[in-house]
Amino acid sequence: MGALQKSLLMNVIEATPCNMPDVIDHVQLSQWLKAVAKTRDKQAFTSLFSFFAPKIQRIARSKFPNETQASEVVQETMSNVWRKAHLFDENKGASTTWVYTVMRNVTFDLLRKIKGNKEDNLSDDIWPIIESTQGEAEAFDDHLESKQLLSGIATLPDNQQEVVKGFYLMEMSQEQLAQHLNLPLGTIKSRLRLALAKLKVQLGQHHD
Amino acid sequence: MIKHHPTFELIQSFIKGDLPASLSAGIAIHADMCPVCQQQIHQLTEQAAEISFDQTFLDRFNVEHHGEEIPLINFDQMIEGITETNEVELQDTIIEKIITFKNKTFKLPIILNSMPLGKTAQFGKLARAAFQLNENEIHTNLLHIEPGGGVPEHTHKGFELTVLLAGSFHDDNGQYVKGDFIMLDGTNTHQPISQNGCLCYTVANDALHFTQGLNKLLNPIGSFIY
Repeated sequence: MGALQKSLLMNVIEATPCNMPDVIDHVQLSQWLKAVAKTRDKQAFTSLFSFFAPKIQRIARSKFPNETQASEVVQETMSNVWRKAHLFDENKGASTTWVYTVMRNVTFDLLRKIKGNKEDNLSDDIWPIIESTQGEAEAFDDHLESKQLLSGIATLPDNQQEVVKGFYLMEMSQEQLAQHLNLPLGTIKSRLRLALAKLKVQLGQHHD
Repeated sequence: MIKHHPTFELIQSFIKGDLPASLSAGIAIHADMCPVCQQQIHQLTEQAAEISFDQTFLDRFNVEHHGEEIPLINFDQMIEGITETNEVELQDTIIEKIITFKNKTFKLPIILNSMPLGKTAQFGKLARAAFQLNENEIHTNLLHIEPGGGVPEHTHKGFELTVLLAGSFHDDNGQYVKGDFIMLDGTNTHQPISQNGCLCYTVANDALHFTQGLNKLLNPIGSFIY
């Protein structure tokens, strides 16, 4: 082999990424997802996270101009994976398809929120993960009267109260709250979520 | 039998989440009644997912960012935050919504459940209620035509989507039935008539109709419907 050919070959070898192109291991991904659903397996979730989160971040960066929003897509998507894993049905499709739809829905709702200033979370109606799911926001809008809401908020633990009040009454963004309260964004989100779940239960009782 | 379907390009944009909510809902309503499109959506979603999460594809895709630092998210902290709670999202029971036009009651597609619907306005044998989706020039409505009613001949500067939710109507091009997905643009002129009445989900972006005052005066029925 001549020197030229050799250096060409070297170039080719160097140009290919040193890590082998990773073929998606569907069986493994499905197993992790099922482990999250059945045993709330944090280790399995961490593995799923390592596979999906960096990819979701890169995809989100192509759709959102700012880094905070891309990060919000990662946070929201992976959070839904954690909370909705039991809705994954491997007979209906691959785990990648499932996570893709979760990501697509989060992205859709966030884009709608940014563009139209509407936080109506329509995606779960348009693309139900399983038939007939309902968005959290809808139930919230429909059932909460402001009076009931205020008395409901008063019964929440202090740390949830401050997040709910900041978000709904002072209309601060979750990012602003995170900064203001000096907490990670994820903590703000999960507190908000827990608070909403409690409020929903309370108000549900009033309606029964 | 359903004969009118969304184009491949529309379905492709739909599964990627690139269409406005109004059109996405239109496609979803159609697919709910059309196994052919359902199957296609399923396959295209699978493909899109496979490509999206393929590392080598992502590397190629983001080649211009090469060398540019992707800002680090604190992934460990995010995982901690997410798994802090063991709460799972349970399914809410679905509430079926109904709408009444002239004593006729219709079940709304579940897809439309969270879309706020305005008051119904009547105009002869036509009635419409607007969805408040805040999509600027795109207007989304439920349109009810009483038996024997129709829409006078009209055209659109933009597009006009009609998804038939119940009943049937016809125009010069033929008969349309429940589930049909009818997408028209400015090159089409039509005069739909419904012999036995029908309920449609309509989406149109005919902004000019709304902004030109004179046109509005000359064509009140056009601005009424869309």
